[in-house]
Amino acid sequence: MSELGVEHFLFLSAALFIIGMMGLLTRRNLLVIFMCVELMLTAVNISLVAFGWETNTLNGQAFAIFSISIAAAEAAVGLAIIVALSRRIRTVDVADIHELKD
Amino acid sequence: MSLDLTSPEWSITVPQLIVFLTATVLLFADAFVPKDRHYTVLTGISLVGYVAAAVALIWQRDTDEATFDGLFRADGLTVFLTLTILVAAVLTVVTSASYVERLEGRMPLGEYYVLVAFATFGATLVAAAGDLVILFIGIELTSLATYVLAAFAVRRSTSLEGALKYFLLGAFASAILLYGMAWIYGATGSTSLDVIGEQLATMVAGQDDLDASLLLGMLLIIVGVGFKMAAVPFHFWTPDAYDGAPTPVTGYMSAIPKIAAFAAAIRLLVQGLAPLRDDWEIVIAVLALLTMVFGNVVAVSQRNIKRMLAYSSIAHTGYILAGFAAYDVTEGGTGFSTGGSDDGITSVLYYLIAYTVMNIGAFAVIAWVQHRGDGLTLDDFSGLARNNLPAATAMTVFMIALMGIPPTLGFYAKYYVIVALLRSDLLWLALAIVLMSAVSAFFYLRVVAVMFFNDPIEREKPFTSQTTPLLNVGIGGMAVATIVLGVWSSGIIDLAAEWSSALDVLAQATP
Repeated sequence: MSELGVEHFLFLSAALFIIGMMGLLTRRNLLVIFMCVELMLTAVNISLVAFGWETNTLNGQAFAIFSISIAAAEAAVGLAIIVALSRRIRTVDVADIHELKD
Repeated sequence: MSLDLTSPEWSITVPQLIVFLTATVLLFADAFVPKDRHYTVLTGISLVGYVAAAVALIWQRDTDEATFDGLFRADGLTVFLTLTILVAAVLTVVTSASYVERLEGRMPLGEYYVLVAFATFGATLVAAAGDLVILFIGIELTSLATYVLAAFAVRRSTSLEGALKYFLLGAFASAILLYGMAWIYGATGSTSLDVIGEQLATMVAGQDDLDASLLLGMLLIIVGVGFKMAAVPFHFWTPDAYDGAPTPVTGYMSAIPKIAAFAAAIRLLVQGLAPLRDDWEIVIAVLALLTMVFGNVVAVSQRNIKRMLAYSSIAHTGYILAGFAAYDVTEGGTGFSTGGSDDGITSVLYYLIAYTVMNIGAFAVIAWVQHRGDGLTLDDFSGLARNNLPAATAMTVFMIALMGIPPTLGFYAKYYVIVALLRSDLLWLALAIVLMSAVSAFFYLRVVAVMFFNDPIEREKPFTSQTTPLLNVGIGGMAVATIVLGVWSSGIIDLAAEWSSALDVLAQATP
């Protein structure tokens, strides 16, 4: 049985980050896009904690805690904007949001 | 790792604490001051708070210390960047007070000022950051407050749409920036920028190939701050967010988050990643070229004046990035900057303050035109000179300043960037700035031509002015400052050079 090394966690984190990025670029539902952004931030937290474990410092864990609370604040602001917009134009499909253009 | 908790040096954080206190006092005043006195009291509190912070900042201009275990730095760079941020905040309050109170269905003034104060506080944290954690918190505080400000005209769906695009791409950029910071932390084992610089210097020395993880971290960081400062190809949100937001907010968005992004870039790339200079420099130079070409070329075809200024602000990001690319190729200040500081960073600092004054000024005139009940297209500016000569003159001053005609601020800003570039042997980038300035003359001067040579628009309803003395004085002040500070620019450039030298001594200590 092989040991769990830091690269396993980094790989997991990179995979989640890329899944989030692909979702953000391809999905059309606002809420799903928003979830993908949150997934990316969470993926980074795994990296931070893994690096903290590898380098034997506490900075990574502390950074992850701050990043979690920032992600929560971001969720509050983001959902507020999405709710306000979907009340006004009755859709959460990004393809239907195109009032502003050149 | 031992925990060594020494009590922090609170005295050097006073300017930032004053901004924070202003935000808190505004929150309470919003709740307890009677509605009919909001305008005077809240505007007064904001202005007094920012001016007090600026005074406290000038008081401590000679300190060069770090506290909170290196999280917070008070050095010359902090002073200059924070002063620029506070100038932008004061100008925003002056231009937005009556707009928020009277236009777009009367938006709540108290909340508006609170958000401006918190965004300003976030930006000052970035300017004073000595650590990745505080830098990220500062950027996010600025961004989150600015997302809400962009959505402030809730009754108009375009405002929400612009804010939504700004939010989604901004959060995306934050995740990328954070990932880059994680990799840098992983490679060096520290989040302190000074320690990162020292670690990298020893890692890079004697090693030709860079560690892949370092390169990945550096690129992710550049992409992250590129999004925040609206560099091409990370600019998609800019025109929509600028167009949708209430006009004074657009002026604010084009100044403070951009200053914060450049402050982050200086702190991260020059202070932390200085040993990787040869690697990031070429990336920044290419970004600068793309940004200025794209911004200027697309701005030519815009009829909506806010969109035009959005693309113009992208172009100006390109010019500032060009100054950034000129960082320290010459090894020490041989040019206009004195005291061992770097020409490139000095020109960036000067450009930031010049850009703040002229750009917020231009948006203030647009807000002024909206106060008269007019819209945002070029036609709404036709014949403005015949209706109101002072306003048209002020707009002309801002336009020629943005274009870069002497003796305005904008000319000297470009001049110093070009000098820094020539000293760094980046002739192609200097040529690109000159060429692109020629292109930009077309769309800036078109506004001037429309104001002076077209016939005024026919009005159905009689002209009603809703402008306030505060806005008029603010526009006049900015127009005068654009010219006077331009003439007096050697004073500012000396200050910028003096105050950025702290940074350079630090970077040279880690070759």
